Amino acid sequence: MSLTLLQLRKASALHVDLRGITPATLAGLAVADIERLTVTHGTQTLPLAELFSVSQAGAPTDELRLEGDLSRFDRIGWQLAGGRIVVEGSVGTYAGACMTGGEMHITGHAGDLAACEMAGGTLIVNGNVGDFAASTLPGSMDGMRGGCFTVRGHAGSRFADRMRRGTALVFGDVGDFLASRLVAGTIAIGGRAGAHVGYGLRRGSVIFAGPAPEVPPTFVPALTSAEVMWQLLARDLARHGGPFSTLPTRRIQRHLGDVAAAGKGELILAL
Amino acid sequence: MSGVLVRNGVSIDDGFAEAFPMKATRILITAHNLTWARHAAVAATGFATSVIACGCEAGIERELTPEQTPDGRPGYSVLLFSMSGKELAKQIERRVGQCVLTCPTTAVYAGLSDGPDSAALGKNLRFFGDGWQQSKVIAGQRYWRIPVMDGEFVAQEMTPVVKAVGGGNLLLLARDTETALAAAEAAVAAMQQLPNVIMPFPGGVVRSGSKVGSKYPALGASTNHLFCPSLVGLVPQTELTNETRCVMEIVIDGLSEADVGAAMRAGMDAGIRLGAAGGLLRISAGNYGGKLGPYHFHLHKLMGVE
Repeated sequence: MSLTLLQLRKASALHVDLRGITPATLAGLAVADIERLTVTHGTQTLPLAELFSVSQAGAPTDELRLEGDLSRFDRIGWQLAGGRIVVEGSVGTYAGACMTGGEMHITGHAGDLAACEMAGGTLIVNGNVGDFAASTLPGSMDGMRGGCFTVRGHAGSRFADRMRRGTALVFGDVGDFLASRLVAGTIAIGGRAGAHVGYGLRRGSVIFAGPAPEVPPTFVPALTSAEVMWQLLARDLARHGGPFSTLPTRRIQRHLGDVAAAGKGELILAL
Repeated sequence: MSGVLVRNGVSIDDGFAEAFPMKATRILITAHNLTWARHAAVAATGFATSVIACGCEAGIERELTPEQTPDGRPGYSVLLFSMSGKELAKQIERRVGQCVLTCPTTAVYAGLSDGPDSAALGKNLRFFGDGWQQSKVIAGQRYWRIPVMDGEFVAQEMTPVVKAVGGGNLLLLARDTETALAAAEAAVAAMQQLPNVIMPFPGGVVRSGSKVGSKYPALGASTNHLFCPSLVGLVPQTELTNETRCVMEIVIDGLSEADVGAAMRAGMDAGIRLGAAGGLLRISAGNYGGKLGPYHFHLHKLMGVE
């Protein structure tokens, strides 16, 4: 088990694709081997050493630590299956996309399409995420399909578009079309939500711990509170803390739909 | 081989109870209040005294406070035992489907955290929802939400199945019916304080102890004539003396050998506390010569006498 530290030498002028740089691929490699690994930089390929200073240390688990402003570094944690990635700074697009396991923690912000098609593991972004987080790869039918994705800041529009499974939380505000075309899964929002919440929602639960959103007219009020399921769900969400910590003690109001799409999902407003 | 063991006037046989491997699961039944949880638990564990004809042996393990259940409501913990995982799965589905799903306000959860195998709990019952059922995965566990007339029935998808031990037993030989019942009730009450065990017969007690085989070829088991006071003098052999007029048996199923052993010890202690003065004359146990079941609970060993 080893800890690999990549410290950014200087901000990149072009976008860099960091797919393939995961704890698993770095495990067992010497520093010199890691430095020779290539990544795409614009239309070129560059050895990692040109972008980062590389060092290693022993660690209880395979861990990759990246430091610097990586907001032009895309696909960090792409298809991550195990181990741990910590980014001290902000990252570009597709952060944690298609990850199936392991853990990734970003202390700054993430760009668009974070956690898209995430299928397992844990992704935490301390800052904000862009549009289409927890959604699909362009052209794909299913979005996030497993794992737990936490945004401690705000999220852009189309959060969890076509999401199918898993849990996605935003402590702050979200943009328009939250949970559009949601197939299933659990979404919890601590702040305000933009317009058109749950557009085309099929199944799944969207929980609002903060201000109530404008409920679209294509949702119908539920006559029963589903108290048993709410307790199971609220107790699990409460462990994430922040705006969700009081959920088990709060009453709820549910709205079912989107009936315009023959949906049977639910918008849950914590009162 | 130890000699005669007598405690508080009660003679304890130098014999053993013979028990068998079974498959078991624990389910938690919760409801709006304890009354309705009890209705469901009692119904689900009804007609589950013996695998001979009931398909499984089941019983209420203990009452659960709201703090002890996944949904914060009161409930009961129920243990079910069967001779095979397949039969257990069938029994779970029937009993939960007919007795828990139907009972107002109930929900059902797996009561074991892990096991080498698992059986469907709500997995197949979900189809009662006629397409309106929905699943919800929470902390890695899938639950089914089935719409019913009082709201929705929530059932965890699967319940772990573990290897268990069934058929631990005690025979309480007493002076008369009154004292035999008192000893049996005291023993069952003591055993019910312990986790991981059930006593599946009515009130935890069985008066129709059986032996393997019968004069009738169609029957696999028949009355244990050696312990029947009504046959003393009529049969060539008996286990009873003239003073012993009533015998009660307690059958114990547990999640492990240690659990069954602990329950037997607790039952014996309770009987001994009543003592010969209370009418309990002897404690024995049923076995088949040690050839059928791999678990042997030696009464003297359980009492700490080697």
